[in-house]
Amino acid sequence: MVAVRRPAQMEPPGADERLLVQAAQADPSKFDALYELHFERIYFFIVSRVRDRAVAEDITSETFQKALANLSSYEWRGTPFSAWLYRIASNGIVDHYKRSNREQQIDELENPLADRAELASHDIEFIERHVHFFGLVAQLPDVQRRVVLERFVEDRSIREIAQRIGKTEGAIKQLQFRALQTLRAQIGERHA
Amino acid sequence: MPKRSPAVELDLAISALLATPGAVVETAEGGADARRAKVPAAVAHLLPLVRDLRAMPRPQFKAALKSELHLRSFTMQAPAMIQKQTASFRPPNFRNIAPYFLVEDAPKFIDFLVSALGGTETGRYLRPDGKVMHAAVAIGDSMIELGDTNEQYPSRPMTVHLYVDDCDATYARALEAGATALTPLADMHWGDRQGQVKDSFGNTWYIATPKTYDPAQYAICSVQPYMNLRDAHKMIPFAEAALGARTSGVKATPDGKILHATIEIAGSTFELSEAHGSYEATSPFYLHVYVPDTDALYEQAVAAGARSKTAPYTAPYGERSATIEDPFGNTWFLATYLGHTEASQ
Repeated sequence: MVAVRRPAQMEPPGADERLLVQAAQADPSKFDALYELHFERIYFFIVSRVRDRAVAEDITSETFQKALANLSSYEWRGTPFSAWLYRIASNGIVDHYKRSNREQQIDELENPLADRAELASHDIEFIERHVHFFGLVAQLPDVQRRVVLERFVEDRSIREIAQRIGKTEGAIKQLQFRALQTLRAQIGERHA
Repeated sequence: MPKRSPAVELDLAISALLATPGAVVETAEGGADARRAKVPAAVAHLLPLVRDLRAMPRPQFKAALKSELHLRSFTMQAPAMIQKQTASFRPPNFRNIAPYFLVEDAPKFIDFLVSALGGTETGRYLRPDGKVMHAAVAIGDSMIELGDTNEQYPSRPMTVHLYVDDCDATYARALEAGATALTPLADMHWGDRQGQVKDSFGNTWYIATPKTYDPAQYAICSVQPYMNLRDAHKMIPFAEAALGARTSGVKATPDGKILHATIEIAGSTFELSEAHGSYEATSPFYLHVYVPDTDALYEQAVAAGARSKTAPYTAPYGERSATIEDPFGNTWFLATYLGHTEASQ
C-alpha cells in the first residue's frame, strides 16, 4: 500500500474516547460506540497476522467479548483504548495457536506485544493506513462497493456476482475495474 | 486473437491471485504480485489493492458480532436489575423459556432428569387416572416442565442446550441412564465443552460446560430450547413481530442460512439454527414462556400470523395464560405470573 499521510485515526486519544470508555463502564450497552470505533483496526491487526479469515473472525470475536467482560477493570492511563484491545487480541492470537497445537507458528508469529506495552509506531501506521483504505471502500458507489465486497471479501466468482446483481459478467468486470481505479486514484490524491 | 479490455485483463490477474483459498493477506509487494500473475502494465498498478481488499472484514460478521455484544452488554447490566424488571411477571426461580415435555411415562422421565441430569423435582400433580398431569424439575437456574401425553398434546421429542457444572460427569450419567451418545464430548471453539446425547424418550440434549468464559457474565440459562429448523431464517422475523423477540449473535451462510442465532423473548432465550446433515430438523416444540402481558402478546402474535389455540384466561394456579402455535408448528404457552396463590403451591 502506498499511503503515507497520517490518517486522522492516528491522532492521540482525547477526552472523547475517555468519555466513551467511562460511559461504557457505567452502562455496558454503550460499548457499541467503542466497538464501532475500533472494530476495523482490531480485525486487521489480527487478520494480518493469522492470514485466515475464519480464524481472524474467531479471535476478533473473542477479543471484543473479553474486552466487554473486563471493561469494568480497565483503567484509563492516557494511552489509547485500542492499546488495551491490541493486547487482548495479541494474546488471543497466541492462544489460538496454542489451542491448535501449532506451537511452531508462535515463534514465526512473534507475539507483537510480548515484550513491550504497545505496538510500534510503524505497526500502528500500517494498521491505520488500512483502516483508512477500508473507509475509502465504504465510500464507493453502491454497486461498485457491492461488487468489491462480494468479489474480495465473500469470495464470489464474477458469474455468481452477475447472477446476484442481475448484470452481465462483462458489466461486473467493468465495475470491478472502475472500483479499483477509483480506489487507486483516491489513494494517490489523498496520500501521495 | 482480439485484444482484451483492461477490465478483462484485470479480472484474469485477480482470478489468478484469488486462486489460493483462505489466504486473505499476501506478503509479497505489489510488483511481485503483478509479475506472478503476468499482468499487462496497464492494470498492474491495481493489483496491490487486491491484497488489501482481501483483508477487509465481512460486513455480516461485523454486524453479527455487534449484535451479540449488545445482547451480552444488556445481560451484564446487572442481573439484579433484570430480575427486578422481570419479578412482576415470572414466578420465583423461573427465568428460562421452559421446554414442556409430553412423554409416555412421565415418572420415568422425571427419574432421568433427576438421576442423570442433576435435576430436582419441584412439583408433581396427578390426573384421576394416576397419570402425571403436570410436573416440574429444576436444573441449575432453570425449569423443565412435563406431563404424560394426552389426546390434545401428543409426545414431541425436543432438543435442549443444557449447561451444567461438569458436562463430563453429566454426559456419563446420561449414558448410564440409557441415553445414546450422538457426539462425543469435545472442546468447542466458542468456549464450551460439549457432547450430544439422545435420551430413551427421543429428546436430544447438548450437554455443555463453559470453559473459557464466565457464564455468569452472560446470563446463560441452564436450560435453553434449541430448534433446528428448515428455513430457520423465517423464524426470526416471525418471532420479532409476533413475540416481541430480539435476535442476537446471528451467524449465517452467505446465502442466508442460519448457522446459529439466539432469540430472546422477555429476557429469556432459545437457540436456533438451520437443520442440516446430522442436525436433523426438530419436531415442533412445546414451550412455556413468561411475558409481562399475556393478553397483549397474544393479540400481537395472532395479528402477526400465529394460530390461536387457547385465548387468554386466568388459570387457577395464579397465572394469566394463553396458547398459540407458530408457523413452524411450535406450541407456545404464554403466561404472566399473577402472584402467589394457594393453588400455585
